[in-house]
Amino acid sequence: MSLTSLTFLEFCILALIIYFIVPKKIRWIVLLASSVTFLFWNNLSVYTVIQAIIVLLSAYIFGILIDKYHDTRKSKVFCVLGILIIIAQLIYLKYTNLFLVTANHIFNLFNININFGMVTRNSLLGISYYSLIMISYLIDVYRGTCKPQKNILKCALFMSYFPILTSGPFVRYENMEKDLYEGHKLKYDSLCKGLVRILWGVFKILVISQRCGYFVDTVYGDLGTYNGCFTIVAVILYTIQLYTNFSGSIDIIMGISEIIGINLPENFKAPFFSKTITEFWRNWHITLGSWLRDYIFYPLQKSNFIQKLNKKCKNIFGKKFGKKIPLYLSMFIMWTLIGIWHGGAYTFIIASGILQFIYIVLEDLLGPASEKINKKIGINTEAFSYKLYQALRTFLLFSFAMIFFRATSIGNGIQIIKSIFVYNPWVLTDNTTLFTAGLDLYDFRVLIISIIVLFIVDGLSRSGSVREKLFKQNIVFRWTIIYMLIFAILIFGCYGVGYDPAAFIYRQF
Amino acid sequence: MKKVIKIIIFLIIFYFLLVNIFKILWLDKNSIGYFHDEPKNSLDVVYIGSSNAYAHFNTVLAYDKYGFTTGMVSADAQNVAVTKYMLIEAQKYQKPKVFVIDIGRICDDDLYIFSEGDIRKTTDSMTFSKNRKEAIDTLLKYRDTEKDKYINYYISLFMYHNTWKNITEKKFVGDENLYKGYVFSWDTSRTEPQEKLEWVDNYIDMPEEDEKILLDLIDYIKSNNLNVLFVIPRKAFDEEYMGRFNTAISIINENGLKVLNFNNMDDFDVDFNTDLYNAGHLNVYGATKYTLYFSKYLKENYDLPDHSNDPLYSSWDDEYKRFKESFGNKTGNNFDELLLEYNEMY
Repeated sequence: MSLTSLTFLEFCILALIIYFIVPKKIRWIVLLASSVTFLFWNNLSVYTVIQAIIVLLSAYIFGILIDKYHDTRKSKVFCVLGILIIIAQLIYLKYTNLFLVTANHIFNLFNININFGMVTRNSLLGISYYSLIMISYLIDVYRGTCKPQKNILKCALFMSYFPILTSGPFVRYENMEKDLYEGHKLKYDSLCKGLVRILWGVFKILVISQRCGYFVDTVYGDLGTYNGCFTIVAVILYTIQLYTNFSGSIDIIMGISEIIGINLPENFKAPFFSKTITEFWRNWHITLGSWLRDYIFYPLQKSNFIQKLNKKCKNIFGKKFGKKIPLYLSMFIMWTLIGIWHGGAYTFIIASGILQFIYIVLEDLLGPASEKINKKIGINTEAFSYKLYQALRTFLLFSFAMIFFRATSIGNGIQIIKSIFVYNPWVLTDNTTLFTAGLDLYDFRVLIISIIVLFIVDGLSRSGSVREKLFKQNIVFRWTIIYMLIFAILIFGCYGVGYDPAAFIYRQF
Repeated sequence: MKKVIKIIIFLIIFYFLLVNIFKILWLDKNSIGYFHDEPKNSLDVVYIGSSNAYAHFNTVLAYDKYGFTTGMVSADAQNVAVTKYMLIEAQKYQKPKVFVIDIGRICDDDLYIFSEGDIRKTTDSMTFSKNRKEAIDTLLKYRDTEKDKYINYYISLFMYHNTWKNITEKKFVGDENLYKGYVFSWDTSRTEPQEKLEWVDNYIDMPEEDEKILLDLIDYIKSNNLNVLFVIPRKAFDEEYMGRFNTAISIINENGLKVLNFNNMDDFDVDFNTDLYNAGHLNVYGATKYTLYFSKYLKENYDLPDHSNDPLYSSWDDEYKRFKESFGNKTGNNFDELLLEYNEMY
């Protein structure tokens, strides 16, 4: 069920009406019923039910056991056991092909004549999200950050809360516990603000992301015809498509939750205003980053192996450089995992893992030297122009990495990069050629204006919630903006006949 | 309470904006659209049917001649299966003395071969209601390939929002009610000359589904006590079709309703060499003869009022003038002179 489909709209309206009609005490049951319906909407089978039950029972039973044997060795064993079961299923359902491809490459390297065929696994919607969410639940119970949920149905609701199943954000049990099970009252303020946020999300998806998609699909689908400047525009537009698609989905999810009365953590904070890749990842898919930091990176840094390596490296390479090696190793592991999480293919590992790791290490290594050079030649790093240059640099580096995110294989990614170097600047100036790749002049106009609006809103959001600012304005201005948003979606949105509500790019994760 | 009022005001403004903005984005108006432009309860006759209706009956000529007003609830290739829903639609806005229903296609074998456009031309102009949904459902029942797109038919916005790229000045300033729903064609060269056959007296079974539709329509008319006159337009029928129509006429008559068959009259006919636009439609010359004859019939049989001197109906005079000018421009002839010639005949 696509987040911008009428089915989803009807589903949400019905779920919300029932939620606010029934007595407060049992409102969480409505959420659970809606979530279970959503989870199995198009994929109800014994096989998928078992998948969900495995994760639920692992988290529920081991959560209770971890708490029961708190501060004992058994507690750690149960925690590891629970996590292993969830991870094993996740790997089996999502990453079998990655292992098979790797094995084929290795066999090929040693000229061994074995070639595994690819397999198809029917995995449940949002498995990557709820698996990680339940792993963090077990770790939090183990760490004593929260108490386990004794009611299995409430545990099931935490696992399957329907708005976050498609695109996140990652939530923590300690933050959700109160909001999720408490019966909320419908508040006028939350309703208005939630609806505006949903509209903004729909605008991003239907007006910007979908429109970018037409161009990107045309260019990447025929690199023989569309290359050079076509590819450059496609690379840029794909990054915008990805951002508006993902953050738009999050806006819809946050809006629905806000209406219900459930606070979810923000997942984006104007990432394209970031001056470095490090800063970019603090503003992009924030909850995934913080999940990996809290449950992978910090435990790794504190592990005996890294601590010992730290000492050894300091002895060999000196204090300053020596401490960087174990740090980079932990980061490498974390970024590789981010890449793997994004999809069971090497293209994802390169795009959102290895390349990001390389960028961040280079920033760390070259940063001090760059600062010195800037000082020597007298560059004002506080000037707007310099900050603009930094933001553009970050955007382009990220866009370059996303070539592999979109590519069907590493070879295809390299082909896209090669196609950038075809010389055809007239594509941008002859007033016709650019408009042969899926978007005509009118669509480009709409797209450019919409992207400018997007950047203005993102820019404003850096100094506080734009909606809060909007709702402080007078009614005429406020309503004018809201009507403009609604009609921009209705008129310029890519929906209707012949339009297939595209699967969200992040949905498969 | 204040919040509820706020929400209601917001929604009212939204509805107002929606209706007016999408008027601009909508398709060009057809006869049903013009029907909806007429003031409530201002029409004396409502004429329902496919292109035979709007191409054969010149509403502004009938007004000029006898002073009664006619609304066209007809669209290109309008399916007979939706006639009942068009009757319901018309009654929401008008209380005519008589409903004229063109049944020129009631015996067609290919009644159920129609395109998405054919459905849209009929149902897009209907007002958003349960009746419109039922009309769409009825048509989609015959068109399997379109069934999964039903939502695009119910909410036409899904189809037309993309027309923003082609908005011209005309869309913004609107168009007057062009000839009050009458659409005229002036040439005679669209098809080979048609063979004119004498009407035969044999009876041949109607296609089963057609008969079902006719009976359902008759049932609705009778149960709602509507004053209805069925008409079979003058066009080139073969003997097989004549037999089927004889069956249809007998079914209608048996139910106490009246049919005028313009293909089998002693005092009316058209010239197949000069009065046909194509095999199925009269051109402006044929339509003028038809209108002169039929409007007189309506006036004599249905106690229709004369609004000729009523300033509230001045738009009908304006549209008649516009029609005559347009006729002159297209044909190089003078419509008043043509009328003098035809008046002697009818």
